[in-house]
Amino acid sequence: MLQIKNLHASIDGKEILKGLTLDIPDGQVHAIMGPNGSGKSTLSYVIAGREGYEVTGGQILLDGKDIMEMAPEERAAAGLFLAFQYPVEIPGVAMTMFLKTAINGIRKQRGEAEIDALDFLKLMKKKQAELGMSDEMMKRAVNVGFSGGEKKRNEVLQMAMLEPRMAVLDETDSGLDIDALKVVADGVNKLRSDKRSFLVITHYQRLLDYIKPDVVHVMAAGKIVKTGGPELAHELEKTGYAEYVGDAA
Amino acid sequence: MTAATVTKFPEKSPYQPDTAEGILRAYDAFVADIDDQPKWLLDLRKSSLKEFKRRGIPTPRIEGWKFTNLLPLVKTYGDKVGQIKVSHDKVDDVVITPLMQMLDQDWVKAALSEDMPPLQHNTENTLWHLGNIYMRDGIVIDVPANKEISKPLELLTSAADGAFFTDRMVIRVQKNARLTIVEDHWSKGAFWKNRLTHIVLEPGARLTHIRMQDDSDKSVYTQTTNVHVGRDAVYDAVAYCAGAALSRNQIRVTLDDTGAECHLNGANLLRGEQLGDTTILVEHRAPHCQSYQNIRTVLDGRAHGVFQGKVHVHQPAQKTDGYQLSRALLLSEGAEMDTKPELEIYADDVKCSHGATTGQLDQEPLFYMQSRGIDQKAAKALLIQAFIAEVFDKVQDEGLKTSLERKVEAWLKL
Repeated sequence: MLQIKNLHASIDGKEILKGLTLDIPDGQVHAIMGPNGSGKSTLSYVIAGREGYEVTGGQILLDGKDIMEMAPEERAAAGLFLAFQYPVEIPGVAMTMFLKTAINGIRKQRGEAEIDALDFLKLMKKKQAELGMSDEMMKRAVNVGFSGGEKKRNEVLQMAMLEPRMAVLDETDSGLDIDALKVVADGVNKLRSDKRSFLVITHYQRLLDYIKPDVVHVMAAGKIVKTGGPELAHELEKTGYAEYVGDAA
Repeated sequence: MTAATVTKFPEKSPYQPDTAEGILRAYDAFVADIDDQPKWLLDLRKSSLKEFKRRGIPTPRIEGWKFTNLLPLVKTYGDKVGQIKVSHDKVDDVVITPLMQMLDQDWVKAALSEDMPPLQHNTENTLWHLGNIYMRDGIVIDVPANKEISKPLELLTSAADGAFFTDRMVIRVQKNARLTIVEDHWSKGAFWKNRLTHIVLEPGARLTHIRMQDDSDKSVYTQTTNVHVGRDAVYDAVAYCAGAALSRNQIRVTLDDTGAECHLNGANLLRGEQLGDTTILVEHRAPHCQSYQNIRTVLDGRAHGVFQGKVHVHQPAQKTDGYQLSRALLLSEGAEMDTKPELEIYADDVKCSHGATTGQLDQEPLFYMQSRGIDQKAAKALLIQAFIAEVFDKVQDEGLKTSLERKVEAWLKL
């Protein structure tokens, strides 16, 4: 599904990713854990195609296709989704308008017809109910006046509606209390299937109690330094990242 | 310093009287063609003619015109004065009559005779004089007391190619009456249209005044509006301006009595080489009055936006609430915005705030939307619509609000 080969990327001339390699097969959930400053968020932005990062080497393949030259919206149409660590507020743009434009944006790129207005509403109602989001929230502007938990739920809602093949979750647990974390994790778990893969980026092991990964990677100083099973996350919880930070320095 | 130092503008008048000649070429023929005008009107023409000849067409040497260079675009006009046409439906209970048939009405005479004071420091209102000189076209609108007119009165103003046009609207909304006026401008060709509007709102009256200006980008549109707002009356204006090579919107509102209120909302969308200028003076003359100015400008290409807004709080106007905000969005490197927000306050118990910002589209929401599959053009369009939306918020008639929003959508698709 997603293959990253020897990826090098820098911002403002400073190299952040230093030869990162990762292979996520269909239907698997991979977690990346790592200390602050290891390049986790940079990785998520480079995958999603954010401007400002210079990729100086390596490849990112989605279903075998190189996505490096694609605009962010083209990557979305190809089936990629990034749940933001800090979802962006967009004053003046209503949630429903935003969701509908996104769905139709993807459909248009795929050469499909626009979604029927009624079908869209039904889909939205169903997904928002699953995530415990009120009609009132859907009338607001995107993320404006949303609490931290509501913003993260909104990310999962968008993911549920856009049905990506490959979802990257960037620190989706940050700022969530335990109840909100459960709701968000439930939302993600409902979307798990053998056709959809996840890359869960997190600092803490806590999230991985709720979203059980198949593979856990440790990232430090811009590369994957260790790969193991779910038990690796528990190990890190006990020992911390000191060992890896030391390695990198 | 040596003796050779020359100041750029010597201490003489900034006006250039010689610029008056061109546009006055048509005057003799114009006046000869008008039958039966009362003496006061002829006197008014002559007095405005005298004022105009002393000053001519404003140029950037004048304080209030320093950002807006009108002369190069209008100096070829003056061979003839075209006839401006305003078409409208009949609206029950509203008097709508051609101006020249209403000259015997005292209130119309009073409105026409009122002088238009400077909106900016040291800036005589020569366009107002120009309108007086060529006064002929125009309409009078009068709403009787206590009539609440729910159907908007739509006025389509047409001008033809190749001429100078000027007209005068005189509007009165009597005690506790209500009216919505929608001005529509979308003429083709090259012309100069100079409109003067005089509005009187009696106590408790409310006028919603919507302007949609989409004239050809070869035309020049100058308009000057003078509004008197009486006790507890409300003037609620929304301007959409996307047309003309050069447009100058001059508005003066005086809040004459306790509880008077005005809302001046404006959306300017300009591209190419267009210039759009909004120049406002709000005068608080009585206590407990409120004024709001909210102007949004979107500039693409090499377009140029100008906002000059002043809130003048006179000494008796205690408990004034005054708000003024201009926000501009530059979509390209070549676009330019000039702003001059001013407060002049002589009362001591007032609440006034003002601000002016100029910026670019935020990259964060753009990337966020793109990452959801929305292409960059559509994402920008959504952000621009959101930027503009607030100025249409107060429009209560849903149909009108929708047509304003559609205009923005259409502009974004070009």
